[in-house]
Amino acid sequence: MLHALCDRFKGCEWDLMNKTGFLYDERYQDHKTGRYHPEVPARLACIYQGIKDAGLLSKLIPIKASPADLKWIELVHDRPYIERFEAACRLNESVFDSPDNQMCAQTYEIALLAVGGILDVVDQVMTGKLDNAFCAVRPPGHHAETNKAMGFCYFNNVAIAARYLQNQQGIQRVGIIDFDVHHGNGTQHIFEGDSTVFYYSIHEHPSFAYPGTGREFEHGKDFGYGYTKNSPVLPGQGDEDYKRLIRSDLLPAFKDFNPEVILVSAGFDAHADDDMSDMKLSTEGFSWIMQNIVELARHSSKGRVISILEGGYCLERLPELAANHVEILLNA
Amino acid sequence: MFVSRSMTRNVITVDPEAGILDAQELLAKNNIRHLPIINQDRQLIGIVTDRDIRSALPYRFYDVPQNERDKIAALKVKDIMSKEPLSISPTYTIQDALLMIQNSKVGALPVVDDNRRLKGIISVRDLLRAFINVLGIGEPGTLLCILVEEKVGQLKRIVDAVTEENISFGSVLVARYWDTNKRAVFTYLLTQNVAHVKKKLQDMGLTLLDPMEWYLDQLPKDDTPPSSSE
Repeated sequence: MLHALCDRFKGCEWDLMNKTGFLYDERYQDHKTGRYHPEVPARLACIYQGIKDAGLLSKLIPIKASPADLKWIELVHDRPYIERFEAACRLNESVFDSPDNQMCAQTYEIALLAVGGILDVVDQVMTGKLDNAFCAVRPPGHHAETNKAMGFCYFNNVAIAARYLQNQQGIQRVGIIDFDVHHGNGTQHIFEGDSTVFYYSIHEHPSFAYPGTGREFEHGKDFGYGYTKNSPVLPGQGDEDYKRLIRSDLLPAFKDFNPEVILVSAGFDAHADDDMSDMKLSTEGFSWIMQNIVELARHSSKGRVISILEGGYCLERLPELAANHVEILLNA
Repeated sequence: MFVSRSMTRNVITVDPEAGILDAQELLAKNNIRHLPIINQDRQLIGIVTDRDIRSALPYRFYDVPQNERDKIAALKVKDIMSKEPLSISPTYTIQDALLMIQNSKVGALPVVDDNRRLKGIISVRDLLRAFINVLGIGEPGTLLCILVEEKVGQLKRIVDAVTEENISFGSVLVARYWDTNKRAVFTYLLTQNVAHVKKKLQDMGLTLLDPMEWYLDQLPKDDTPPSSSE
């Protein structure tokens, strides 16, 4: 379809581009994490600025946040967990569940806004108003378990989006690609027994990096066996290993699985300049990965890619990484 | 770190008069390799392993003549068991068990009290579980490799710095390094948030090792080859 359009509007740049949604809301910066915490509000400001400075903002379709209905959160998280989280914020607790999860009184509300915004994006992609999207949300989600906050994450954004696609939009097969440098333990555990959601993660080897899961021999459980795939990368490695593993592990598995929608857990912390990891992925390496993801989606998923921000803490690199990321979505 | 804390308590045992084919089935069904043999007073009198049973059986059971088969089927556990096997007391430490298992090249040690009554069994599998526990890798965390001078008080500096950051330890291991004046300290920190503490340790003059550059084969080579394990 896109190629037909290209032929009709040769030379007309605007029409060659996708309808790419950009979920961004200044309220996402109201989740404060405290001193020496890398998951800072400024991350989002850097992402926004990077996209703006690259002249891409006007080409994106802006999406604002709205709070999610609790019934969608409950597709993934236990009600007692949701209530505990709400109460902790109401009581102005500064930490929730684990010392890494520093927060403030607004965190619960902002976490709801992150999920709500993402679900709006899902609706718009499914109705065709958007072709694909990048959701620049905080807090991140992929470490959050059904009943435990971990690793800066509270609600598992990507997992809720996957279940929402299946429950509300009638999608059967969802593919999740997680290139955050840390393994998405929450996402893996939520779907490990499920053959309708394929979880692929490439990350720093769990013997060295948080959270210590995502080993090569973890393939899922019961009915979900074979629908989880992990590519651990040894410390100090970069583009070469990522390309090799994505070619050998991700591409064949997803061609086989043939997902109807691809969700991306987009973490930019494997960058060489990011001090949260020992990986040496370059800016171009990130683009290469994203290029391959949109190509996968073109073949299996009618181009439907919904990318959701996870980690990425190098404020100097986030602008270019985010700009390249959305540019690839626009041109996919 | 006592054996009593890590051993398997519900031991599957067998009567000395049991047939070896029944014993073999019991091993297979429970996915285990060692069967302690006890008398009526629950005192340990022997142990039989899956290998003992396999050695007592012909390579292909149904290829041998019927009378031979009957003879084998009539074999009792007491005929093939190791009598008075090596055993340990529940008050032994995990370290004792590790060293005893390594030296004696057995796969498991029955645990008995002073009256030789069977209290449990500790196998290589139990020790592996204990080792995973000691490493702390059942919990989410990040490994740091820190190079320190070989002198008193270095570990304290690290522990103090990490504690000031309000970070808990999953484990701390100290290992030899190829430079004999140095030690490699592996701290498993129960956090994702290591960027600040890493910088702090470096500012204190400590070297953070690239984990990929730390290989056991960089250690000074021992002239005597390590004794081969099974």
